[in-house]
Amino acid sequence: MGVVPYLGLKYLEFLEFLRFFLEVLKTMFTPPFRKKEFVEQLYFVMNKSLFIVVFCVSFAAVVTIIESSFHMKIVIKNDSLVPGFAALLILRELGAVVTSLLLTSRVGAGYAAETGSMKITEQLEALQMLGINKINFIVVPRFLACMVAGLVLTIIANAACLFFALIVTEAKLGYGLGAFLSSMRAFVSYQDFIFSAVKGTVFGSVIPLISCFYGFKCKSGAEGVGQTTTKTVVTTTIVIIGLDFFLSWFFSYFY
Amino acid sequence: MIIFSDVKKSFGEKHVLKGISFQIKKAEIVFILGTSGTGKSVLLKNIVGLLRPDSGEIWIDGQEKSTFKEKDFMGLRKRCGMVFQHPALFDSLTVFDNIAFGIRKHYPKSTHQEISERVKNCLELVNLNGIESKFPPEISYGMQKRVSLARTLAIQPDILLFDEPTTGLDPISTNKVNHLIQELSTKLHTTSIVVSHDMHCALDIADRIIVLDKGLVIENASVEDIKKSKHPLVVDFLKEALANE
Repeated sequence: MGVVPYLGLKYLEFLEFLRFFLEVLKTMFTPPFRKKEFVEQLYFVMNKSLFIVVFCVSFAAVVTIIESSFHMKIVIKNDSLVPGFAALLILRELGAVVTSLLLTSRVGAGYAAETGSMKITEQLEALQMLGINKINFIVVPRFLACMVAGLVLTIIANAACLFFALIVTEAKLGYGLGAFLSSMRAFVSYQDFIFSAVKGTVFGSVIPLISCFYGFKCKSGAEGVGQTTTKTVVTTTIVIIGLDFFLSWFFSYFY
Repeated sequence: MIIFSDVKKSFGEKHVLKGISFQIKKAEIVFILGTSGTGKSVLLKNIVGLLRPDSGEIWIDGQEKSTFKEKDFMGLRKRCGMVFQHPALFDSLTVFDNIAFGIRKHYPKSTHQEISERVKNCLELVNLNGIESKFPPEISYGMQKRVSLARTLAIQPDILLFDEPTTGLDPISTNKVNHLIQELSTKLHTTSIVVSHDMHCALDIADRIIVLDKGLVIENASVEDIKKSKHPLVVDFLKEALANE
């Protein structure tokens, strides 16, 4: 396929996705409100992802401190600014982005495979026959759960990151809690906490949207489900990184 | 009465239905036969709006449906039950909840006891009991197919659409399902449209048989007339049915 037809197809797909997104927003405020499904999804997304998120972001924080110290020592022969820089990096990028990328691979891939399987085994049509709106039944509870989970997990990830950054700073760099906090205060402002939470919420909400969108378009067979899952993970990752850029740019006007 | 008038449906370059016309009367049992890929399932899904025709008209009880919007189909779907090719059970729900799902939706005032009784009755109709608390992946494919039929019967539809209802079932269950279709037609005057490859079953219980080939109706006749057909595909189907007797 040539570049122009490919871009044309992608443009049409984007328009289709926008229509899907608007329908989700409209359905979100239309009863019935599926509280049980929402709670189940929240448990699946948040509780079951908590350990892996905390584990991974903590290591990312540790690496950030060690690497920053190494480079600063080479360039300015001093690493006293590392805690502040690291805290800023954690709050502005690491916490939200790493958390949402982990959720993409754990939750997004699962949702895509689940909705894709539902499509090819005619479960979506069975829902339609029973008069159930598939967006209300499948997408909205997942969308809301991922939105809340994205927010809460980002806050927890930030806290875990800062905690482990503090421990490594003290153990490896030799700066105590006081030095860490004063360095952090010099760089970090209250907006960083708010914008990080906003990023977590936005990234979290993108995951089920893309997963269910591709799941509903899944082609038959095991290959179809596999392709849907791969497409979901790749697209969601790209969208999260792209959104991160736009949000960071937008937030830069508020400092 | 269900009327198809010159219904056409394509998927991209593939023309699946090339102008289908027929009529189905109330309480009739009509089998739609044909080889794989001739558009039998597509035809069935067009009746309830799961797919929309590209052209032509579909009339159900005096109302033309081909131009209906999604929300307009709600009333029709409440009257229609469809048994899909796959069991299409919801994996996250137990057998009980799968069957109760439609009852709760269509009869919201039903008490828990009424729902339980209806679920039990529907499971008995398909020769199953004691599996209410199991999840679909915990039971065999044949049992899943029968639960799917029970789920469809639970909403008490007056039009039943079956997409290969006996595929994957053992001979005893197959007979049971066939007799159930017959019983629903005679006792409750349910109209049944059955998509199948199985001429043997069709000859056994159908009032009329429609044979599709390459997106066109090649035969539409009573069982007796079908037996006299000279069309090569129908003859092949009949030979196969006689061989299985």
